[in-house]
Amino acid sequence: MPTIYIDSKPYEALAGKNLLETCLGLGIDLPYFCWHPALGSVGACRQCAVKVFKDAQDGTGRLVMSCMEMVKEGMRASVSDKDAVAFRAQVIEWLMTNHPHDCPVCDEGGSCHLQDMTVMTGHDYRRFRYKKRTYENQNLGPFLHHEMNRCIQCYRCVRFYHDYAGGKDLGVFAAHNHVYFGRETSGILESPFSGNLVEVCPTGVFTDKLLKEHYTRKWDLASAPSICQHCSLGCNIFTGERYGRLRQITNRYNSEVNGYFLCDKGRFGYAFVNDVNRVTRPLLRNQTIEAVDEAPLMKTLREMLSGEELIGIGSPRASIESNFSLIQLVGRDNFYQGLPEYPAYLSGKVAELVQSGALYVPSLKEIEASDAVLVLGEDIWNTAPVMALAVRQAVVRTAAAQAGKQSGLPAWHDLAVKEATQEKKGFLANLTVCPSPLDEEAAFSLRRAPDTIARLGFAIAHAIDPSLPSLPDISTAMRSIVNSIAGALRSAQHPVIISGVSCYNEGLIKAACTIAAALHTIGLRAGVAYVLPECNSMGLALLHAPSFDNATARVLSKPGVTAIILEADIYRTVAEKEADAFFDACKHIIVLDSMHNRTTQKAHALLPAAAFAETDGTIINYEARAQQYFQVLAPQQDIRASWKWLGKLKGLRAAAGNGQQVHPDEILQQLEQALPAFKGISRVAPSPDFRVHGQPIPRDPQRYSGRTAILANLTVSEPRPPQDTDSPLAFSMEGYPGIPPPALIPFYWAPGWNSNQSVSKYQQEPGGALRDGDPGVLLSGQAVLRLTGEEKPTAPPLFMDIPEAFEAREDRWLLLPQVHLFGSDELSSYTPGIRRLAPQPYIGLGEADATALGVIEGDDIFVWLEGKACSFPLAIRKGLCPGITLLPMGIPGIPVPQWGSWVKITLSEDAEEIRCPSKIF
Amino acid sequence: MARKLLLEKANVPGIRGYEVYRREGGYASVEKALKNMTPDQVTDEVKKSGLRGRGGAGFPTGMKWSFLAKPEGVPRYLVCNADESEPGTFKDRYLMEFLPHLLIEGLIVSSYALGSKATYIYIRGEYAWIPDILEQAIAEARAAGFLGKNILGTGFDCEIYVHRGAGAYICGEETALLESLEGKRGNPRIKPPFPAVRGAWDCPTVVNNVETLAAVVPIMNIGGEEYAKIGVGKSTGTKLISACGNINKPGVYEIDMTISVEEFIYSDEYCGGIANGKRLKACIPGGSSVPILPANLLLKTVKGEKRMMNYESLSDGGFPKGSMMGSGGFIVLDEDQCVVKHTLTLARFYRHESCGQCSPCREGTGWMEKILKNIDTGKGKKSDIDLLWDIQRKIEGNTICPLGDAAAWPVAAAIRHFRDEFEWHVDNPQECLVRNYGLAHYADPLEIATPA
Repeated sequence: MPTIYIDSKPYEALAGKNLLETCLGLGIDLPYFCWHPALGSVGACRQCAVKVFKDAQDGTGRLVMSCMEMVKEGMRASVSDKDAVAFRAQVIEWLMTNHPHDCPVCDEGGSCHLQDMTVMTGHDYRRFRYKKRTYENQNLGPFLHHEMNRCIQCYRCVRFYHDYAGGKDLGVFAAHNHVYFGRETSGILESPFSGNLVEVCPTGVFTDKLLKEHYTRKWDLASAPSICQHCSLGCNIFTGERYGRLRQITNRYNSEVNGYFLCDKGRFGYAFVNDVNRVTRPLLRNQTIEAVDEAPLMKTLREMLSGEELIGIGSPRASIESNFSLIQLVGRDNFYQGLPEYPAYLSGKVAELVQSGALYVPSLKEIEASDAVLVLGEDIWNTAPVMALAVRQAVVRTAAAQAGKQSGLPAWHDLAVKEATQEKKGFLANLTVCPSPLDEEAAFSLRRAPDTIARLGFAIAHAIDPSLPSLPDISTAMRSIVNSIAGALRSAQHPVIISGVSCYNEGLIKAACTIAAALHTIGLRAGVAYVLPECNSMGLALLHAPSFDNATARVLSKPGVTAIILEADIYRTVAEKEADAFFDACKHIIVLDSMHNRTTQKAHALLPAAAFAETDGTIINYEARAQQYFQVLAPQQDIRASWKWLGKLKGLRAAAGNGQQVHPDEILQQLEQALPAFKGISRVAPSPDFRVHGQPIPRDPQRYSGRTAILANLTVSEPRPPQDTDSPLAFSMEGYPGIPPPALIPFYWAPGWNSNQSVSKYQQEPGGALRDGDPGVLLSGQAVLRLTGEEKPTAPPLFMDIPEAFEAREDRWLLLPQVHLFGSDELSSYTPGIRRLAPQPYIGLGEADATALGVIEGDDIFVWLEGKACSFPLAIRKGLCPGITLLPMGIPGIPVPQWGSWVKITLSEDAEEIRCPSKIF
Repeated sequence: MARKLLLEKANVPGIRGYEVYRREGGYASVEKALKNMTPDQVTDEVKKSGLRGRGGAGFPTGMKWSFLAKPEGVPRYLVCNADESEPGTFKDRYLMEFLPHLLIEGLIVSSYALGSKATYIYIRGEYAWIPDILEQAIAEARAAGFLGKNILGTGFDCEIYVHRGAGAYICGEETALLESLEGKRGNPRIKPPFPAVRGAWDCPTVVNNVETLAAVVPIMNIGGEEYAKIGVGKSTGTKLISACGNINKPGVYEIDMTISVEEFIYSDEYCGGIANGKRLKACIPGGSSVPILPANLLLKTVKGEKRMMNYESLSDGGFPKGSMMGSGGFIVLDEDQCVVKHTLTLARFYRHESCGQCSPCREGTGWMEKILKNIDTGKGKKSDIDLLWDIQRKIEGNTICPLGDAAAWPVAAAIRHFRDEFEWHVDNPQECLVRNYGLAHYADPLEIATPA
């Protein structure tokens, strides 16, 4: 560790870092704009100037940009030097010559990095007395508002959007003091990571359009740590509330998971919480809303529960607390999943592998650091977007690290490293059913049927370890690809294989594991990541509950059952006929959910469940990382957390009154005791009685305004704020003002740092882990072994059951889902902007099939689902292999089919079955 | 008559074509270098010649060449900087337009010395008609076997490509030029790494000015030592000066660097004196970015010596009392010129040509232009002059590339030498709109300013 002197004081610095990040890591305030820990240095804004001296005798020194200055042993620098201070103030003055003085009406005000830096440098007197330059703004779509006049040309937006996230449609135009950042013409930003511009932009050029609809300053938002609910990655987020409504989601840094960035679905998909379609009151069938008071409700529920046989249907989007409470209510033997047999089996298989301890499941950070990635079948751009972003970084960084090593450039020297990297890329093989934007980063991208991809996976495993079964029927061309992929994985240090369940194919899961096993034989610890469909799919799968098919069989064989459906719309996952059969056979149906949907229509009793922002809960991501989210809204009316309702029902069942209040951490402790798979989960966050110096952690910033007046339209006496007995967080601005434990950080703020850039004050070093470690508890088998110190490199299991090669059939098509980032997810689709970006129903065929059938894009064709012909316009999917047809998943207007089945396609409703002559593969 | 090395044959009819050029002794240096010399010997010859970069900075060319990294298996590039966009400078245009083969010949020899198999001419977008001339010359040279594979049977391969810029002054800065050549936005790079180590497409690259590369030809023909004998001190060889402004004979002149500034302005061989019998007020001796000098300081150094047309003498006195040879754009201002308006013109140019990457230049140049515009139109304040001074001080030396300096220096020099004229503008807001300040404040310098 080199010792450096800043203003004559010695400090220990980390070698290889630049002076700016070193200063920030040491807690020395230094203003900056163009530098970003995830994007590196470009030395453009000239804001971080400091003086550097040759030696102790040098009294003059020279001004340098600290972001471009490598830390060296014995280095002498001055942050407080007169010239440096004056120059930094001058830079702000320059930027301010063209920055409008519109802070009061700017959305960024109060969380603006430019404001903070202006105050920090002390520039306060305006010498510029001319007109400012102005621009025309663009309409960038439903998520982002564009206000170019505020731009200070730090270039961070294009460096994130283009260089980091691979977006093509945001660029830098014009020159001199008229540089423009935007698209060529107005239009929706194409990248699904565009929302990060809100946080990357140091001022108010790109602001959150959804926030604008119900604008609140950051200092007026009550915030809480939370977890994104829209895919299985578990990105950490902050939720912000004002006047009882969820108003904004921003990134919460977790170095192991999402780092600095979110996807747009996660950032903007929260509107359902505020939606009019919310269930806010308990409802009983055939009774008016007014009639359902506490007493009659409890009476009815008691009748439904008493003496009847109970079964529970768990949910992959409800917390583990709620699912386990349901188990406690109905008993383990009566707990089912709301999924058909095969998908439930696939999730179970994944959970089993992750839990076994034989599989190393990489975190997103570890995927970013991987030097060879193989994607087997899973369309991660749509099913796990932030993972796709991580894979992109793996590709870019591997090449950059090599180039940097060869040229002796430090990793943070962004433009020089990019120049040194040129077009070189790390290794990615993207073997999927449909084309993906990741293909352009891939050394190999292939479009094949899932079975064929699985076979290629087994062939790769064989190429790595020849003792594994070979596949003699693979063509020579394909064999050379297989050998290249195998070679790249073999020569990598941190290979990662990504697969998932969205192809409804077990072979893919087994093939991924088998490749890891093959790599194990040559001493390589390969990471295997399986993407699951929902935020708590892993949690539900770890409970190993039988499928919905079993539940249906049970109620059909033995009528008179009361079914309790936990936060799941069965009609989205199960075919209509089967769901109807189930509900028809149940005697009573109790549904807990937050939104009205087709399942709640079946309910005899409907209980309003809290959405994620209204309750605390724990969900488990794809790598079995348990993470807790916290309540930020006090639930309105009768909304309660599902686990609270279920606790109440348990009390009714026990005929002991209302049952006792439980806290989530107690449920987690009971879960730990009941199921060893969840050992350690109760450590996920401090318990509700946790206090720092006797104080809770405030959700409201110290500058929170209008507290006494906020409900003045309802009552002039200030009501008592809601009390939170479930967590150490308080609905108050009073409490511990310092840095709380990482799991409880409700927002980022530090004196002089109002913007999200204050995150560096919460980190051990800029871009590093949070102080006291990143939150979350890993429950995977390997993590448990690591904890107990027993970690031995056990071999991942080998699978020998190689699937048959996919063969297109003459008269049937294999039906597969196309997951869409926008539209396929149930809850995020309540956001109007996301609905706007979601596709209309379509039926996808490959080019060859479309040509053979003589149909063109947009023609209505008929697909036979459940014996009925459904007509959708044709969408030709480039590269989709013949014999496969796609339907968009979860899009309204398409009945839930049996994915992975063979379906009939006709050109009109009453047409003869058509036979496709092109089915030669 | 001074000795001419570059423009000697410029007036030979048909010299633009290969036949005439070859007949007049062209491509002899290629034959000499490729057949009889090793690349290192060529570099040594250039080193011996003392040739200094003719693009503005005056860095010794031989030394620059010897800095070129030569890792195994990595291509090296020579890039000819023909992005001549400095106001007042048009010497390269003249060379390329009338003696294209001289440049091609110099490029082949230099490529041989540097081991560049792909050599680029990055030419200013506004020189729209010149790429055709160059491409014609390249085609002729290639037909004659001086380009392509196995040149003259020596086994040396070389191709020259002409790349048109899109009209950005900044692309004359070598790293911005490389970015633009690579097809990217022409923003300068942060140095280090230097182009000699990591240049075009991350390969070692030398970027040289047109005149510099053309000068390699006479160096090879007469020998480096002979070349070094021409001129004085470290200013060896001949230099092209593009003279313009209020003179009788504007144009491109080849000088050996032993003549005085006074001679250059007033002798009939060169500029032929100030036009219309006016008196000399000031001059920018090296292209718009070098400091302007008032007549008294232009003709005599602060030590009272005669100021000569060479690198050392022009910069004698440092920035406060001297200027620079720069790119040889010699702009003469007579007594009718307004220094404020003139400075505004330059400030407007630099504001417009700033790439917009780093804050001091992007915002500072725009601000300076606005202040100057106000002073020029009689809306200025006394404090504006100090503000201008303050802004240019903070720009200078604190930008990624030298454009910031280039924008700051003219403003600094104008205020330094003509502060009274600025103040007169502020004090006489009405009068300054209708008449010029003239030479009123140069009672003393005037005597020096009259020709001997």
